[in-house]
Amino acid sequence: MARPWQALTKRRGGSRLTRMDGFQKLLTLLLIVLSVFMLLPIVYIFNHAFKPYHELFVYPPTFLVNEPSLQNVNELLAVTARSTVPMIRYMFNSVFTSVLAVVFVTGVSALCAYPLSKHRFPGSGFVFAAILLTLMFAPEVVQIPRYLVVSGLGIMNTYFAHLLPLMAMPIGVFLLKQFVDQIPDSLLEAARIDGANEFIVFLRIVIPVCMPAVATVAILAFQNSWGNIETSALFMLDDEMKSFAFFLSTLTNNLANNVAMQGAAAVASLIMFVPNLIVFVILQSKVITTMAHSGIK
Amino acid sequence: MASISIQHLYKQYGKDKQLVVNDFHLDIRDKEFLVFVGPSGCGKSTTLRMIAGLEDISEGEVYIGEQLVNQLPPKDRDIAMVFQNYALYPNMTVYENIAFGLRLRKQARHEIDLAVRRAARVLEIEPYLDRKPKELSGGQRQRVALGRAIVRNPKVFLMDEPLSNLDAKLRVQMRMELIKLHKTLGATFIYVTHDQIEAMTMADRIVVMKDGVIQQIDTPETIYQKPGNTFVASFIGSPQINFIEGKITEEAGGGLAFSTSRFALRIPSDAAELLRKHRKIERRVTLGIRPEHIGPEGLYSDSVFTGIYKIDELMGADRFLHLDIGQQKPLVVRVEAHYRCEENERLRLVIDMSKALFFDADSGERLT
Repeated sequence: MARPWQALTKRRGGSRLTRMDGFQKLLTLLLIVLSVFMLLPIVYIFNHAFKPYHELFVYPPTFLVNEPSLQNVNELLAVTARSTVPMIRYMFNSVFTSVLAVVFVTGVSALCAYPLSKHRFPGSGFVFAAILLTLMFAPEVVQIPRYLVVSGLGIMNTYFAHLLPLMAMPIGVFLLKQFVDQIPDSLLEAARIDGANEFIVFLRIVIPVCMPAVATVAILAFQNSWGNIETSALFMLDDEMKSFAFFLSTLTNNLANNVAMQGAAAVASLIMFVPNLIVFVILQSKVITTMAHSGIK
Repeated sequence: MASISIQHLYKQYGKDKQLVVNDFHLDIRDKEFLVFVGPSGCGKSTTLRMIAGLEDISEGEVYIGEQLVNQLPPKDRDIAMVFQNYALYPNMTVYENIAFGLRLRKQARHEIDLAVRRAARVLEIEPYLDRKPKELSGGQRQRVALGRAIVRNPKVFLMDEPLSNLDAKLRVQMRMELIKLHKTLGATFIYVTHDQIEAMTMADRIVVMKDGVIQQIDTPETIYQKPGNTFVASFIGSPQINFIEGKITEEAGGGLAFSTSRFALRIPSDAAELLRKHRKIERRVTLGIRPEHIGPEGLYSDSVFTGIYKIDELMGADRFLHLDIGQQKPLVVRVEAHYRCEENERLRLVIDMSKALFFDADSGERLT
């Protein structure tokens, strides 16, 4: 049942649009158009996955599916059934490494960001500058050094080799440091006076207060790990140690001029995309808070 | 509860930098309410933070009770601190905020509950125990911060400008509540403020600081009536004390007078004696007189001079007249609210010279 104050709020909400001047209305319209434009790839991925073959190759290409079918899903299932390693094994590898990556990357990034932000020690500025500098390197540049490290450590063909190269995430350290910078020192001092040691201050105060940034880093870490094919290609010798993303990429590789398997490829893209979407939708409000706080909105 | 002894404390950031706290030496009695007051950057907060253990001590010693605490972490000093921005943990409820310190000390759950509820009752925040700090008003947050401090029953309470973020009305109310709390708890309070009214109303003793150096330590009455130098005299009291530049001259009858280019005021014999002792005859001095010790002619018997009325400020019960007496700054005089003047009206004024203070014109030290 509508209550009087609800009606009042509605009226107020309506009046906001009327209070806007022409330029603001134009800006709002532009932003709406831009948001719809940003949404198009997602809509396309979903539609593409359910297009039957004759729609996949129709010219000019259609954006939306006309006759949705599960034909592509069946094709993918048929391909995976022929695989020597069951698909579930690849799936397990990906889920297992992605979950561990999220835990370790957020942990390492936060443990790195907190002292850089709140503790004065010689060389802290240099360390932070060096971390920022690593943002400049493309992943391809560090492939050979990574290989040397992983093989030198003797962890080739293990889950450690999936995790270790992802562990240091400079953007995660940067985001978290920007967030921790904004925690007033007095909050940490109050906790120290209350009897907390550094670890309790970090765990009970810094991490909960930085939850939006932690969530953002978790999403980035998940995306990095879930879509990662590099570690499987470089460090995994056995097929059963490779990731789901790698498996799907082998299905869809070299399809540029092929007709066969295009349907499976479309579904594969959707499968790779959906977990990212779910994680993002769950944590999106926190991500937006981080962007607003870290000064990179 | 505990006394605190601060012995020759210094604070310097970097080797060649200026001293932020310079030879701070003070004994604080058990159960005393001590207020550090001074302008921004005078080192009062730094001193407090050194007592708390949040800032390293460059040189000197701090004792809480009999124990030297220089190397003790804050949690082992048995202190509680209230911060200017309250520093409440935003992720915890009011209850959790207050209980946090007790939980870390591994007290039994029923003891924690009892202590939190008792503190909440004393501070009248019981209805808000389940709320998060962001759902509270400034005054309520301040009470939670106090609750977090009192619940641990510490030896010493340190307060770093705890009322500066409150509005004027709430500040007056909280001031009274802090005085009551001090009486109830019977603990040692060290309170930092830049607000001289807070210092005057709450303190057992006031420490006035400037540029890291203690200017004067005394009771509010003495600080107000007998300030040690021109800085203390001008910092304490609102409106500020009037300073009049002039020189000491000898009168025909053997007495001394304070003379400016426009007027001369007879100096009482006890003050005259001290000025003679300081060899200030025919020398420049600064006369300090509070606005309430000057008035229109008729209030006091002697020392009459004239001033030209410029503006006034109505404060409710009082009116402060700003008069030109040929000095750089106008002379401020407190009169009854109903007293009215015409612009540029010449007023005959009298000074209660028994309340006049004389300061050295160069060093600013009080002479009488």
